[in-house]
Parts: sequence; C-alpha cells; structure tokens
Amino acid sequence: MVSPSGDEQRPPVLLVEDERDLAAEIRDELQGVGHPVECAQTLEQGLSAARRGGAAVLIVDRMLDGEDGLSLVQALRDEGNPVPVLVISALSTVDDRIRGLKAGGDDYLVKPFALPELSARVEALLRRGARSRATFIKLGALELDLVEREARRDGELIDLQPREFKLLEYFMRRPGQIVTRAMLLEDVWHYKFLPQTNVIDVHIGNLRRKLDSGDGRRFIVNVRAAGFKLDVES
Amino acid sequence: MSKVDALGARPFRLALASALAVAAAILGAFALIYFEVAREDVARISAILTDEARLNADASQDRLRAALTARQTRDIRRIDYLSLFDAHGELVVGNVPRMPPLPADATAHLLAAREMAASGAAAETAIVVARRRADGGVLLLGRTLQDSYTVEDTLLRALGLAVLPMIAAILAIGALFARRASLRLTGVHEAIARIMQGHLELRLPVAREGDEIDRIAEAVNLMLDEIVRLLDQLKSVGDNIAHDLRAPLTLARIKLDHALEVAPENARAYLEAAHAQLDRAGVTIAALLRISAVENGPREKHFRDVDLAAICRQAVEFYEPVAEAKGVLLASSLDGSLRVRGDEDLLREAIANLLDNAVKFTPAGGTVQVAATTVEGRPCVEVRDTGPGVAPADRELIFRRFYRASADESGAGHGLGLSIARNIAELHGFQLRVEDNAPGARFVMRGGAKASLARLSR
Repeated sequence: MVSPSGDEQRPPVLLVEDERDLAAEIRDELQGVGHPVECAQTLEQGLSAARRGGAAVLIVDRMLDGEDGLSLVQALRDEGNPVPVLVISALSTVDDRIRGLKAGGDDYLVKPFALPELSARVEALLRRGARSRATFIKLGALELDLVEREARRDGELIDLQPREFKLLEYFMRRPGQIVTRAMLLEDVWHYKFLPQTNVIDVHIGNLRRKLDSGDGRRFIVNVRAAGFKLDVES
Repeated sequence: MSKVDALGARPFRLALASALAVAAAILGAFALIYFEVAREDVARISAILTDEARLNADASQDRLRAALTARQTRDIRRIDYLSLFDAHGELVVGNVPRMPPLPADATAHLLAAREMAASGAAAETAIVVARRRADGGVLLLGRTLQDSYTVEDTLLRALGLAVLPMIAAILAIGALFARRASLRLTGVHEAIARIMQGHLELRLPVAREGDEIDRIAEAVNLMLDEIVRLLDQLKSVGDNIAHDLRAPLTLARIKLDHALEVAPENARAYLEAAHAQLDRAGVTIAALLRISAVENGPREKHFRDVDLAAICRQAVEFYEPVAEAKGVLLASSLDGSLRVRGDEDLLREAIANLLDNAVKFTPAGGTVQVAATTVEGRPCVEVRDTGPGVAPADRELIFRRFYRASADESGAGHGLGLSIARNIAELHGFQLRVEDNAPGARFVMRGGAKASLARLSR
C-alpha cells in the first residue's frame, strides 16, 4: 500500500502495539486513508516518542508485554500532554472502559475490531477539536436549527421525530466523516454493547427516507464494512 | 421460613422434656425423703412407746399414777396419750377416758386420735401401745404424729418453694439454650439460602464455641472456599480462552478484508460467508466476556440513583423503528420516574436485551408492552409480548448461557442476551423471570428485598 504523496507534512499517528502483525495491519490501514503512522513496540519507546511531541493521535494497546498501556497515558496526562488517545484492548470488563477513559484515554476500542472502525475512531479524534458547537448548521442543501429543533432541505421543513433529529445532528456535526454503528450506539443512545438486531440500520433507513428528495440526491451514504457518512457534496 | 420455625421448635421441645425429667427426678427424691422420714418417725415412736410400756406396765398403781400425772403436766404440747385402766376397763388415771378399740398386745398400733376422744385431740393419727398389767389393768401409752406431720408439712413446703422455681429455672435455661441454638441454626439456614441464590462470597456464621454446629459450619465453609476456587479457575480458563481468541480473530478478520479486496468474483461469496462466521464468533466471545464482566462488575458502592422509567423510555424509542418495520406495536406506560440504585449502563443493557428479545420473537400484528411500576414498594419492569411464549419447562433454561428454545432455529442472536440481562438483574438484587402472558411471554424484572428504591429527592 503506497501512501499518497504529501502525507509526510501531516502530523503522524503514534501507534504503541507490541504485536507486530496487528501493528503492521493498523499502520497499513491508517496510511491507506492518508495518515502517516509512527510505530512503537514498548511502553518506553511509546513514551519517549510521545514526549517528542508532534503526534496527532496516540493509539495504545492496553496489554504491552505484561505492562498496562494505561500507565503511559497516565504519565502523558500528568505531564500535561493533551494528545488525543485511543485505547485498544482485549479487556472489556465494565470497569476497564471507565478506567481507560479516566486515565486520560479519549476513546476505547475493544478487540476484535474491524480496521475501518479503528480508522473512523482515529478520524473522529483528529477532527474533534474542530467540531462545530454552533446552534445552526448549514451543509449544502441541509440546514439544522438546534434552537427551534427544525431541519430543512432546500429551505423546506422536514418532519423529523426527536430521535431522527438527534441522529441527523450527530451526522451534521461530522460531515464527510465515517460514522460506525458502534459510534452511533455509544454516542447517540449511550449503549455500550452491540444489539443483536439491525436496529441502527433501521433508524438510518427511516432518517434517509425523510432526507432524500425525489431527485435522487442521497445525503447519508453507506461506507462498505465501516458504517455511514453524511455526504453533502453530492 | 417454616423450616426455620421447625428448627426452632425441636430444640425447645428437647429442653422442655429434659426440664420435665429433672423435675420428675427431684419430685421422686423428695417423695422418698418424705416417706422415709414419716416411716422412720413412726418406727422410732413405736419403739419408744413399746419399750416404755414394757418397762412400766408392772410398776405399782401409785407409782404409775404419779408418773403419768407428772408426764401429763410436762406435756404442754398435748402430744402424749397416757392412761391407766383397771381390770374392768375403768380409767384410773390419764387423758384417755375410755379404752380405745385396740388389743392390749403390747405392740404399736396406728389409731385415729379421735378414738381416744381426748380433749384437744385433733383429727390426726396417733401411735398407741396398750399393755396388760399383771393386775388385769391396761397401760395405754400413745403419741400423736403431730410432730411428724409438722416435719412433713415443712418438707412439702420446701418442695413447693424449691422445686417449682427450680423447674421454672430449668425450663428458662432450656429455652435460652434452645433459642440460641435455634438462632444459630436460623443464621446458618439463611446463609445457605443466600449462598444458593448465587452469593458464593458469603460464608456460614461460626460462633467459635467448638460445638457440632460450628464444626459443620466450618467444614461447609471450607467446602465453599474450594468450590469458589474451582469456579474461579474454571472461569479464568474460560475468560483467558476468550481473551486469547480476540487477537487472532481481529487479525483473521483483517486478512479476510484484504482477501475480499483482491479476490476474484467467484471466491467472494465464500470469503464473505467466512467473514460473517468470524463476526458471529466475535460477538459470542464479546458476550461471554460481557457476562463475566457483569459478574465481576461494579459493586453497590459504585451504584448511583438511576431512573428505570427513563431507561425504558429510551429503549422503547430505540426499538420503535424496528418494531414498526416488523409490523409490531410497541406500546408503553412509562410516565414519571422509577428511581433505583444501580449502574445505569448495565440497566440500560439489560432492558435493551429484554426489548430486543421481545421484538425479535413477536410476529407481525403482535404487540410488545413495556411498563415500569412500583409493586408493593418494589421497583418492577415488565416487558410483555404476544409471541410464541416460553414453555413452562423452559422458563428457567432460557436464562442459561447458550440456551436457545427449540422453536428458534434461525440462529439469530447468540443466545446470551437473556443471560446477560439476568446477570445484570441479579447484580442489582433484582429478580428476572419469565411468566405466561397468555398468549406470549411476560418478562418481569422485580426488585427483591435487597433492591431498595432510591429515596426520592425533593
């Protein structure tokens, strides 16, 4: 996989993962979507690389040769390092996630995960700072008034149920960004588990039917093997 | 609790029986003393009277008259009967006016005192000896048993004063011991009941008295330690396997993704099927680890006030589109709030699993109803559906891991959702059961005695 030229100017993603095969896959995936990746195998390597600064996002495996990757995160936070952190782990006890986030992790991904899920999370962390807090969002033909709780397409009011409005708001705040089912579950409905039925797809389907106009424009598109994306350019 | 009452009654009956036995033994001893004293008294007086009669019967009449008169004067208690009759049976001297009906055979006889008709003679018994003199007269010597009666009365009083309180004391002590034993057995019984509900961290109470109850309790506690150790071992083996499978599963999925990108069209269907199977395995492993995560989950000290009604409303909102798409009516009565102490994320998951299950098994045209209420002061969440219901024999089994009712051969789901829901319910001291909704199933999550409603803040 060849990285697109010009990537070297972008700040890299720092990956601390001792399992070489998985590290290589993650590197390839992230480079494939345009993020340069710097790899570290041990806690010490990771810490010194992170201290040098310049990483856009830090990805840390919690289990590093018997050491807890969280101690790295904790150390960085104690030093006042604000780099966004994604913790990946095979642990998933109820406390683990809380502990991971408390130690200064910004997001927590449990193995087994799909690579697109990982890159979507990294993307979300990278764009988090730039996320709009506005109460009025206009993207292409879509307008969202968060005070009046109204949504419009081409200036025309769309009749949305509260849950559909909530969903649209989530997409409107992340235009062009891949949104996975797990992210929707966690962020919109606060469910920290995957339901067995395809509930999310039905929600998206309902919202889509109301958003799409008769002229074939599609706003929320599927991203294969990953999730959905609000595509306002089309 | 009837078993506990029975346990309490048995030691008490035992104590009562032993108290009665002790009382009977004491009564027997007293009776023996009583009769022995009486018998000894009679024998002693008889011997004295017989001797006196023998020694004095043939003394001269004047001497006897003087002696009897002197003796009567001294007998201020009026316990002696002394008379001398002449050969014709006429009184010569003494306090018995007529010869009483007894043979002058020089041996002691028991006689009612009134036969003597002596003045002041009470209705008591006397020992009387009559001895014929050489002149044909009769010397009559007697003594009432009044002294003996006094002793016997004293004995009887002592019996009353000593034995009755003694029996009462024995009964009280017996009852005390019975109560202590029963309380300890009740404690043991309750501990066993709670341990059987799954609280394997609890132990039987040991009173450190070194008695049989303690020895059994200690043995059972050691046994429980061993069971817990084995269970932990088993669980950690299972958890480790599940853990260790995660990394290779992650990589296998990734490799398949790569293969899918470059695979020729005729191989894609196979790769996609393999991918789907890997996903299923991943979901199952995640659910298994989830159960053990819940079992080792946050304890009560981490619980906060949570609104169950709000959680239900969110779950209904979440599942409504799926229900609609399936033609199932999702109805709810979830007004107000139902506050409990708990972990919000876990309760959300439990209720979502119940709804997921209900919507999945309810056919088009059916109804799923959700309600959050307070029943007898306990929080209660109900999810009713009009699906095929659960056969009585399966009503416990469906909460077991991997159990899938035979009707559900679709392979949908991993058969762990209800298991997780029950684990979460139990973690909160709730009971989760399925009942008949006639038709359909009615899942009821009810707060037990332990699950207290959070105090409503004003």
